[in-house]
Amino acid sequence: MSGHDSKYFSTTKKGEIPELKEELNSQYKDKRKDAVKKVIAAMTVGKDVSSLFTDVVNCMQTENLELKKLVYLYLINYAKSQPDLAILAVNTFVKDSQDPNPLIRALAVRTMGCIRVDKITEYLCDPLQRCLKDDDPYVRKTAAICVAKLYDINAELVEDRGFLDSLKDLISDNNPMVVANAVAALAEIQENSNRPIFEITSHTLSKLLTALNECTEWGQVFILDALSRYKAADAREAENIVERVTPRLQHANCAVVLSAVKMILQQMELITSTDVVRNLCKKMAPPLVTLLSAEPEIQYVALRNINLIVQRRPTILAHEIKVFFCKYNDPIYVKMEKLEIMIKLASDRNIDQVLLEFKEYATEVDVDFVRKAVRAIGRCAIKLERAAERCISVLLELIKIKVNYVVQEAIIVIKDIFRRYPNTYESIIATLCESLDTLDEPEAKASMIWIIGEYAERIDNADELLESFLESFPEEPAQVQLQLLTATVKLFLKKPTEGPQQMIQVVLNNATVETDNPDLRDRAYIYWRLLSTDPEAAKDVVLAEKPVITDDSNQLEPTLLDELLANIATLSSVYHKPPEAFVTRVKTTIPRTEDDEYAEGSEAGYSESPAHVTDSAAAASPPTSSGNVPYATARQSSPIPAAQTQPTPAAAPVPDLLGDLMGLDNSAIVPVDEPASPAGPPLPVVLPASTGQGLQISAQLTRRDGQIFYNLLFENNTQTPLDGFMIQFNKNTFGLAAAGPLQVPPLQPGSSVRTLLPMVVFQNMSQGPPSSLLQVAVKNSQQPVWYFNDKIQLHVFFTEEGRMERANFLETWRSLPDSNEVSRDFPNAVISSVEATLDQLAASNMFFIAKRKHANQDVFYFSAKLPQGVPFLIELTTVVGNPGVKSAIKTPNPEMAPLFFESIEALLRV
Amino acid sequence: MGLLFSRMFSSVFGNKEARILVLGLDNAGKTTILYRLQMGEVVSTIPTIGFNVETVQYNNIKFQVWDLGGQTSIRPYWRCYFPNTQAIIYVVDSSDTDRLVIAKEEFHAILEEEELRGAVVLIFANKQDLPGALDDAAITEALELHKIKNRQWSIFKTSAIKGEGLFEGLDWLSNTLKSGGG
Repeated sequence: MSGHDSKYFSTTKKGEIPELKEELNSQYKDKRKDAVKKVIAAMTVGKDVSSLFTDVVNCMQTENLELKKLVYLYLINYAKSQPDLAILAVNTFVKDSQDPNPLIRALAVRTMGCIRVDKITEYLCDPLQRCLKDDDPYVRKTAAICVAKLYDINAELVEDRGFLDSLKDLISDNNPMVVANAVAALAEIQENSNRPIFEITSHTLSKLLTALNECTEWGQVFILDALSRYKAADAREAENIVERVTPRLQHANCAVVLSAVKMILQQMELITSTDVVRNLCKKMAPPLVTLLSAEPEIQYVALRNINLIVQRRPTILAHEIKVFFCKYNDPIYVKMEKLEIMIKLASDRNIDQVLLEFKEYATEVDVDFVRKAVRAIGRCAIKLERAAERCISVLLELIKIKVNYVVQEAIIVIKDIFRRYPNTYESIIATLCESLDTLDEPEAKASMIWIIGEYAERIDNADELLESFLESFPEEPAQVQLQLLTATVKLFLKKPTEGPQQMIQVVLNNATVETDNPDLRDRAYIYWRLLSTDPEAAKDVVLAEKPVITDDSNQLEPTLLDELLANIATLSSVYHKPPEAFVTRVKTTIPRTEDDEYAEGSEAGYSESPAHVTDSAAAASPPTSSGNVPYATARQSSPIPAAQTQPTPAAAPVPDLLGDLMGLDNSAIVPVDEPASPAGPPLPVVLPASTGQGLQISAQLTRRDGQIFYNLLFENNTQTPLDGFMIQFNKNTFGLAAAGPLQVPPLQPGSSVRTLLPMVVFQNMSQGPPSSLLQVAVKNSQQPVWYFNDKIQLHVFFTEEGRMERANFLETWRSLPDSNEVSRDFPNAVISSVEATLDQLAASNMFFIAKRKHANQDVFYFSAKLPQGVPFLIELTTVVGNPGVKSAIKTPNPEMAPLFFESIEALLRV
Repeated sequence: MGLLFSRMFSSVFGNKEARILVLGLDNAGKTTILYRLQMGEVVSTIPTIGFNVETVQYNNIKFQVWDLGGQTSIRPYWRCYFPNTQAIIYVVDSSDTDRLVIAKEEFHAILEEEELRGAVVLIFANKQDLPGALDDAAITEALELHKIKNRQWSIFKTSAIKGEGLFEGLDWLSNTLKSGGG
């Protein structure tokens, strides 16, 4: 917004919304435009102007491009909060997508993609389809991006409407910008999908390489990123590709350079000719060096990437170590990264120069930097055997400066050098011991103590030195205590004289009886036992030769390095973490139907079914809505994690990672949060809002972990907060009553709350024939008492102990007179998947006993038990996959049969 | 005298737009009528999900004509457009006899609206070109137009495809609005 428009932010009068509403409906165009500007201004400062939705949308059909853009901006922001009204904008979108002006067509299709409202997505497919084939390249490229956005909203729709194929067609477009955007869209879609969607073929490869030279810099980045995922057929193809891409290394845009480097590094893996590789390495060095002359932030990103590159191909920058020397005015984060790379590039050839640098850094003021510099010297010593001596002399010089933290850091690294080159540099121990008193950091202390213990035989007064530490043993940090313990044991084993013997007793006592640290205690006990059983064996263990160490700190594991190299020029290569470690994406998987897979399962199911059912029942705990879905989860073989199988009705607002390549600046728009969708399957409405004066109650009896709950959802659609909720149940067949008071917090207008009310049975039983009717009364402090009826599903009473052995089942069946057998037909019920049905019934505590074939029908037997041990023997007869299920039951309580049939019918219908 | 009056009216309405809603069930021909009035030609239309708005100049009156989608899902949002409306053009598909009952119900629901109390009503018995189309008398009967009280209304036989009857209706509308009916 230009400067003079700031006045639109300055009104804060009362009744602003009605005023704006009036102006929006003004008959004068100018006034309407001003009003929309005011609305947008209010929107950007966070005021809720969603109530003006229709009024703003009514200004949408205008010749004025500025006004149209403003209305679109408004729509993007508020369509989510007014999903029903958003439909009013559809016709205008459709019209605009056919406008003679390509700018308007593109604007319409771009905006449509930003409106994430399910109800209208479908209407936008036709305009999108048209725009993908538009004559104007600007419209086509905008439409390409829109497909990626649509995929994020509704992947299935994109696949069904063939948008993916249209996108792939666009790769062969004659306009490079369209190609780049199509590539970007396909890459984005690929990242969100498990299926291979976008694979470069030799045909698309040549198209991409051609487009690469002609499109904008950001388009080049997209194409290069796509190319880096291409697996060349052989070394020659890889060489050809690399040759076409190398000119990109000269690009002024750092992102292009890094993407080109990534792409070349990936293809280089295939190139066998050492000459070519050497040449390429030579070519890549100057652009990487150039990156280091940019701003510090870019330098940092470049350095993090270079860190990865030199781990794989150190030769590229082997001769360029000087550019990584720290400048006095480099920010600390750049200096630290440069140090890291200097260590990696240090070699026998340049070590003298490097050491001079490090020594210089060690005298600077920034403590962290100095420490890192000292450590760097140590790491170089460990890395380069021939330079070790020079490194040590530098370290000794630094110790002589007597700057406390330098000394401490130096001692830490010298300990490592001793381990790397045993029996070589021990002559300097005397110098180190001079600084003993100044050590106050745990790591430095621990290192010094280790040195004393390790070389106890060469240090005359080792026992005295250690003893000075022992006085404060209980106060030392765990790290130091552990080293003291070990060092004392070493001393004792090397000089088993009286002094050390006393010391070891003090230490062991301190480290076992007086400490709470289990590590220390356990180590002390091990030493103690070793020493008391066999001192010679103790010697072999404690004084054993140690494996030689190498400098592998800050070295990445090869597989991780491969992954990071493939992600150069992304956040992943800056963090040095794989993308999935910090980005969570829900990959879309189109659920597949696997009905026919059951064939082999049903054969086997007969003999060993009880055990089989237990397993699957455990896996499919909650009875879910769709038939196929719980089946798929129960099978476990399906790669779809449970969370994804439920078609998410409202995906969490995903930030538009792709962004748009040009045009509307959407970054300032705050995503509007969706109302959180309640967990679990929807509950049936028992008190509609129309009856409850705006209060809506949905409820259902459920059984969880052997306990019956009344699962209630309260939605307050009134204008006032509601509180003081209470619930009462009328007498009923099972004597169901609330086990405690209803726990519902005060309910604000527009909000909802879900609660589980524990229930007890046999409390207030009604007389007369069994009935599934449950009469409920709910009151709150603001409204009259509401009465509603719910149906009791008999199966919630089936206990977890209802499983019967087959013999037991047969016996019970025989023992009951035939008059106790009741049956009913359900002509509309279908068992389409046997396993799903078994799982579902098992989840309702109806346990599968056996199955037999009768003519063309399958007969299934189940057992269930009501509380107080009343058994239910159930027989279901059906032709799998065809409508019509016959259910027969035998029970001592045949009067319960109608209730059972109601319940089973509901279960089979689901 | 007549000249003087028409001048007076033109000054009253000259730069003021009369707000008109075109309502009716889906597939009644609302959008076709709008563009027939505005451009004088038949455009191919698709179901209007939302609205169209165009300015039509006729008889010295500028009409701001809002054509609202007739789909069941959109009808509830008609009310958003009711305030400040001077006239309603209710379009009926005269050949769709099955849905005349629904058309009648929707029509009378509109008339009940407080915000439209002052609006005049013009009914277009559209699609007269189709065989089996009911004439204006039959539509009057079917919509129970005789029940309308305290409101100026008129019905015209129209065919948006052929362009018949539309401007006659608009004549009536402009005259009614000029004489203060709106």
